[in-house]
Amino acid sequence: MAKVAREMVEKSGVNVDELVAKLVRAASAEFTTYYYYTLLRAHAIGFEGEGLKEIIEDARLEDRNHFEALFPRIYELGGDLPRDIRDFSDMAACADAYLPDNPNDARQLLGVLVEAERCAIRVYTEICDMTFGKDHRTYELALAILNEEIEHEAWFSEFLGEGPSGHFRRGTPGESPYTSRFLVVPNGHN
Amino acid sequence: MQYLAVAYTRDIPAGRVYPVLVGGRELILVRDGQDNVYALDGLCPHRHLPLAGAEVWKGVLECPWHHFQYDVRTGENLYPRRVYPAQLAARLGDHVRPLRIYPVRTVDEQIQVGMPEAGGTPRFP
Repeated sequence: MAKVAREMVEKSGVNVDELVAKLVRAASAEFTTYYYYTLLRAHAIGFEGEGLKEIIEDARLEDRNHFEALFPRIYELGGDLPRDIRDFSDMAACADAYLPDNPNDARQLLGVLVEAERCAIRVYTEICDMTFGKDHRTYELALAILNEEIEHEAWFSEFLGEGPSGHFRRGTPGESPYTSRFLVVPNGHN
Repeated sequence: MQYLAVAYTRDIPAGRVYPVLVGGRELILVRDGQDNVYALDGLCPHRHLPLAGAEVWKGVLECPWHHFQYDVRTGENLYPRRVYPAQLAARLGDHVRPLRIYPVRTVDEQIQVGMPEAGGTPRFP
């Protein structure tokens, strides 16, 4: 635990226990989404699926990066992760991104993906609101993740034909242009 | 059915919920964005956690714990129901269960919630 760092956050008026609980639920959502996106990516096949695969892969790897970036902050603030992974997965901030009834239907796959990203945007917006001007480190981390979740939503939304995303592809899979600076083991992004 | 006065219309904030205790039951009062007030169960059916900190936007209530969403007019689960596979519906019952709703009437700016008489049952969507 980073004792003074936690104390400063407490002094600023943030309920640190509540914040830690939100960060653990967010970390759980990233970890479980990484798993479920692996299934979704594996089933992105055929003419439509092949085009979709690349953005699912980016989102999948970046969600893993989000977990990697979040967990040190949980421990710094005096929190921890549950000992049992079943307890951990049950507390995810967002619903599981299950493989749809017809996994060969790209539209159904996209529906799951875009809803997962929309939930993530709500989660990190809430954490940003809670920490803005108070817990600078958590705010910057949550904002970095939020930036990537917003891009993910835009990619999937664009693929659904809801409108242009205005975003270009990543340079390398799972590049995490915003979150990479928080990673304990950098992913090669400069 | 007996109607119990629980709040005044001015008490219900826009975009937030107003928790009340009625007959020992935790309920929340919400607006739907068109000045209609609704009374719903105060615990999310997903993990039975309090909805006191929930936000409401355009008639959709969002649980502050796991971001499940409900239609405040009907209590219907909107998310994750819209993306959950039908095949898993039986196993995922708690994840898609609706929020209980209760009848509401307004008398002279006073909000009254209809509760079942002893032995009765609350209204379900």
